[in-house]
Amino acid sequence: MLEISDATVRFGGVVALDHVSATFSQPVSGIIGPNGAGKTTLMNVISGFVSAKGQVRMEGQDLMRLAPHRRAHWGLRRSFQKEEIANDLTVSENVMVQLDFRLGKAGAKQDDVARMLNFVGLADRADKSGDALNSFERRLTDVAKCMVGDPKLIMFDEPGGGLSVDETRHLGALIKSIHAETGAQILVIDHDVELISDICTETLVLDFGRRIAFGPTPEVLADPKVKAAYLGTEEIKP
Amino acid sequence: MKRSLFHITPSGRAGLITAALFIIFMPMIADSFWLSVFTSTGCFVLAIAGVAFMYSRLGMVSLAQVGLMGIGGWTMLRLNHGFDMPFEVNLILAATVTMLCGWLMALPVLRLRGLYLALVTLMAAGGLEIIFATFQFPNGGVGFWGVNTGSTGPFRRPALAESPEAYLRYVAIIATLGFLFIEAHRRLFPGRAWAMIRRSEAAAMAAGVNVTLYKTWAFGIAGLLAGVAGALLAGSLGILDGSTFKSSESIMIFALAVVGGARSWLGAIIAAALFRILPALLNSWGLDADLALVIFGAGLLHAVITAPNGIAGQIYDLLGRWRKDA
Repeated sequence: MLEISDATVRFGGVVALDHVSATFSQPVSGIIGPNGAGKTTLMNVISGFVSAKGQVRMEGQDLMRLAPHRRAHWGLRRSFQKEEIANDLTVSENVMVQLDFRLGKAGAKQDDVARMLNFVGLADRADKSGDALNSFERRLTDVAKCMVGDPKLIMFDEPGGGLSVDETRHLGALIKSIHAETGAQILVIDHDVELISDICTETLVLDFGRRIAFGPTPEVLADPKVKAAYLGTEEIKP
Repeated sequence: MKRSLFHITPSGRAGLITAALFIIFMPMIADSFWLSVFTSTGCFVLAIAGVAFMYSRLGMVSLAQVGLMGIGGWTMLRLNHGFDMPFEVNLILAATVTMLCGWLMALPVLRLRGLYLALVTLMAAGGLEIIFATFQFPNGGVGFWGVNTGSTGPFRRPALAESPEAYLRYVAIIATLGFLFIEAHRRLFPGRAWAMIRRSEAAAMAAGVNVTLYKTWAFGIAGLLAGVAGALLAGSLGILDGSTFKSSESIMIFALAVVGGARSWLGAIIAAALFRILPALLNSWGLDADLALVIFGAGLLHAVITAPNGIAGQIYDLLGRWRKDA
């Protein structure tokens, strides 16, 4: 269970996040909102890339007290809007980076890497170098990287960006199955409301840095405030 | 992944062939002038490998490498004239001292990136230049600075390599070990962490990489290699002079590392050859050695415009094409 309470971020005079609180308890949850709503900022707060007021707790651990790389050691994983695959490493090396901080048998780590690459369907590409991959394969490598090393919380920032409809659907199914495989809780940010409604049980909606709705996805998407935020309509009084 | 630890890359093959050339043939055919040129080239190969590796793996620009070499050389001479330890012990101590000095210089600035890190290291190089010019290098005098005017104390070369020929072999072997040391790092977990940092620091942190630690680590390796290079150079000549370790030389070897090709062994060897062998060649042909600077300038333009992987990269491309045609 991921508890965010009173997360506030200011960039100069701009309030990027304004006292946002939410408790995510479902295996797969979503965060949506228009451009500039503060979705990625919230993800950066959870990763530790921007300093914020407020609390982020999960399984009794106060994440705000840990440096970003320590959060990864604890079990936090995330992907970025642009996939971050090193071109001069092989696919399995790219995934292995996530496990390198651990002291342990190399064999066990390699097994973990091989198992997750197999899970995302890249087993036959494991020894290919990063620059030989297409954009979908790079995205899948990112997913495998997020899955190794017993993660507790995995966050995907616009995983469907730049992918075709079929690829997005495939990726959605994959993300949905991660929880059963690893036990990790998953948080997905996306513009694609179809993807979110397809895979997320509960959803947080942000607009101008504020929480405007939170709850089961179908209810949230039917909320007039959410529709107004997305379509820009306002109630016109006669 | 096991396969990747021990395979030989084209760059590695070129490096090993060059090393074999300098270990076996060159000592047999070179006269004393060329032996000294080749030995100093070997020292600079190591130093250049340090900057080139930091630049190509992490995108970090250090403009203090020759200054750090000076620290290695100073420490080697100081230990040689002050104590009665074998060359190898002095070498290890000189490398360690240089690494620590490199860290001391770099720790406050490792959070800086690109141009700022380069500027700070350049200023450190400038400071070192003044220190070397003021206090000179120990040559057997008394006191901490150990400078004697007039006479110079004896320098003990390694017991294994007293003659100039053997010393050239010795330097070539240590340079090879230096490359293998870098290569082993590159193929194991530090190399993976560096590759992630180069891709994006945020992504590296998200992957659990302690970015400051790994940057410091890389800087330490570059410092260590500079220290070994400086200490070996001291062993080649027995004395050192401040004019060898000017900050402009640090800029020069960085530029030449780019010209040669920062990503490969061959690149570092080409860079050191341009830096040391080309001026000596011009001299022996009766031309002005400063002509080398003009050639370096043209080489840099050439590298920046047409050869992102330097001359070494172009050689590999050519060989690849030739092999395809054959």
